[in-house]
Amino acid sequence: MMKDTAASDLDTRLALLRDTFADAMPPAKVDDAIARAIARVERRSSAWSHARRNAWIAWPFGLAAAIALIAIVARPLHRNTAGEDATEQAASLAARAKFMPLVPLAEIERTGDAVLVSARVPRTSLSELGLPIDPARAADSVDAELLLRRDGALLAVRFVNGSGDSR
Amino acid sequence: MPVPALTVSQSAADAALAARVACGDASALDPLYRRHRVQVYRFALFWSGSAPVAADVVQDVFVHLLTHARDFDAARGALLPWLLGIARNFVRRRAGIAADQTFDDESMPSLDAVDHRTPDVVLCERREVEQLRRAVAALPPHYRDVLVLVELAERSYAEAAAICGCELNTVRSRLSRARALLARWLDIDRDAPQALTQR
Repeated sequence: MMKDTAASDLDTRLALLRDTFADAMPPAKVDDAIARAIARVERRSSAWSHARRNAWIAWPFGLAAAIALIAIVARPLHRNTAGEDATEQAASLAARAKFMPLVPLAEIERTGDAVLVSARVPRTSLSELGLPIDPARAADSVDAELLLRRDGALLAVRFVNGSGDSR
Repeated sequence: MPVPALTVSQSAADAALAARVACGDASALDPLYRRHRVQVYRFALFWSGSAPVAADVVQDVFVHLLTHARDFDAARGALLPWLLGIARNFVRRRAGIAADQTFDDESMPSLDAVDHRTPDVVLCERREVEQLRRAVAALPPHYRDVLVLVELAERSYAEAAAICGCELNTVRSRLSRARALLARWLDIDRDAPQALTQR
């Protein structure tokens, strides 16, 4: 056990030590580092909130995708009820007039964020999809509607000008 | 200069700011930093005996608060003791000591074994404050914890116990031994240097 005088002297010295460092402050570089850390986090969270605020933009794309899916399903039914002949050419026309999925349908259904884009594509695109084309007009182009995921992935395509050989 | 005790309203304000930080409002860290940086810095400075280390610890502590504010539970205590507990972990880590590592008295380093300035050398220095500061920094870590917290950072025994994760009685006994060691190292009767070297 310490003697009282020693304890008292130690207390005095401890108090002196406390007082000496009473004004000790972290250097300014720590202030700067903390300010930078705060700014970094704020930038990150600001970007995230901005993305969330803009999420409503996805709805029209989702709607477009849903319409496109309905078109895929409903178009064959419509054609059947219209009583169109199942001639080879008619089948070809029908195939050209409806959306052709280029990825599994389940994947399209999962995609709630898609966009429909009109485009003119080389006629050779038809042959790449297994559709017959006139070799003499292979260099022409054809109107198409592309169903794209927002990251640019092509989900489905439809050739909109019927025979696809108009140009 | 005595450190003002945390008022209930200040604790509540701290808790509210910490909750804002936890919810992603990083700007709420700034008032917390300005309010508590000195306490954290002084704790780390007394503990490590090194201003650069203390500065690094302050930065580590508040960046930790920025990213782990959800870990703070206001129901379990005020923010400052929580910050000091984190500071303790960081400063120990920088010293290469595990946070939960303790030392038996038998394994306590002898004065001659301390690899930087030993208390007998310290006693030859002119400034008493510097002597004491170096002696505190030479204390075994578990004694240093309680001495710095109670005597220098002026935390209560209960807060020191919570920060160190030990019982109240353990804080008392460690503090008593820490003081006894310091008193021996810095003996007032001026015979200590001879006594230490004769051990």
